[in-house]
Amino acid sequence: MPTQFKDYYAILGVPRNASEEDVKKAFRKLARQYHPDVAKDKKAAEEKFKEINEAYEVLGDPANRQKYDRLGMDWDKTAAAAGPGPGYGFGGDSNGEPDVEFHFDGTGFSDFFEELFGRRSRYGSSFRSGGARTGTQERTARGYDIEGDILVTLEEVMRGAIRPISLQRVDPRTGETTTQTFKVRIPPGVQDGRMIRVPAHGGEGVGGGSPGDLYLRVHYAAHPYFRVSGADLYYDLDLAPWEAVLGTTVSVPSLDGRLNGKIPAGIDNGEKVRIRGRGLPQGPKAERGDLYLVVNVRIPKKVTDQERRLWEELRSVSSFDPRKED
Amino acid sequence: MGESPENQALRIFEPDPDAVYSIEFTERLTQIPRRTIAVYVKHRLVSPLVEQGGGMFFDEEAIRMLRRIEQLRTSYGVNLPGIKMIVQLLDELEQRQIELRFRRG
Repeated sequence: MPTQFKDYYAILGVPRNASEEDVKKAFRKLARQYHPDVAKDKKAAEEKFKEINEAYEVLGDPANRQKYDRLGMDWDKTAAAAGPGPGYGFGGDSNGEPDVEFHFDGTGFSDFFEELFGRRSRYGSSFRSGGARTGTQERTARGYDIEGDILVTLEEVMRGAIRPISLQRVDPRTGETTTQTFKVRIPPGVQDGRMIRVPAHGGEGVGGGSPGDLYLRVHYAAHPYFRVSGADLYYDLDLAPWEAVLGTTVSVPSLDGRLNGKIPAGIDNGEKVRIRGRGLPQGPKAERGDLYLVVNVRIPKKVTDQERRLWEELRSVSSFDPRKED
Repeated sequence: MGESPENQALRIFEPDPDAVYSIEFTERLTQIPRRTIAVYVKHRLVSPLVEQGGGMFFDEEAIRMLRRIEQLRTSYGVNLPGIKMIVQLLDELEQRQIELRFRRG
């Protein structure tokens, strides 16, 4: 069963020559719209949200986007002809055995993504220990380890979640399909990149050898508002110039709902205001990381005549010279 | 696997950051002889948690790493210095990707 091509540009609603900034804006707009917490039809929104996230994983990363752009519609033929990608795209068994096809359902990543960008494609489609030397006949060998990715939203990291996953295998030689279903618990505070080991759900053993394991790597979904670093969240806060100069109180989003943030007078562009304990859960005692508001001063593009006069007056009255040291 | 999916309660798997395995169990899990595991540790390809008594314990990330190293060695014929370089490159790459993802917002 050939994997379905995904048109990520169509999913984000941007043209193929869209700039990085446009891609980011399109993602943010759609992510806010379909975020499971705000959407009305939560089930449908969840699917769409994951699709949007996957599209942004690809188009928002220049390396991934370049790879994707080069493929085109005949991607599976093109990719096969091109051989392994630069660096470490070695896939498949070194013995030349055909790989078992497998499809995940419920991880939040499509098969298309996994084949091109997932851990599977990066480190080879599977790992088997127990020696598979060319030229020797294996009598007994442990089955392959399979690796996949599971997409989790920050909200799931906050509260924890249980996700049903199914793994369907297609044996290329017999066409036989087997499906395994299980659940995966996302504990609150699970870190990005953490592996979830599902024992004995990997490739079948050879000659009576035990089956390999399935590893699912936790992958934080990009959030429309926050960037994540460890357990801390970063929110880019737009401010008017006078708000930065005079200070103010702003309402900002958080994973606990809206909060008020006090912005001190005289805060510079790029400086951060820390709101303690509003980041992601971390540590055994339900501690939390922090939420940082990163100041981004915006300049008004159009000003009225009165405003212009006031700015000009400010210019003549002020002794502030940002280039004084040059 | 005779039970139908509806009948059996679905098993739940979760990441267990505290799961550590002794070297004996690791040998069984990875099918790599103890002596070879010790060589990998000596060459710093994998870091175990070393107990007071000198016993080595491995977490799940280390298990995964061991299997990967073993495959690089046996299936792809990469020698130890080669494996070390590959592992370092992959680590570095991953760090940079994490940083880039953060900066790109």
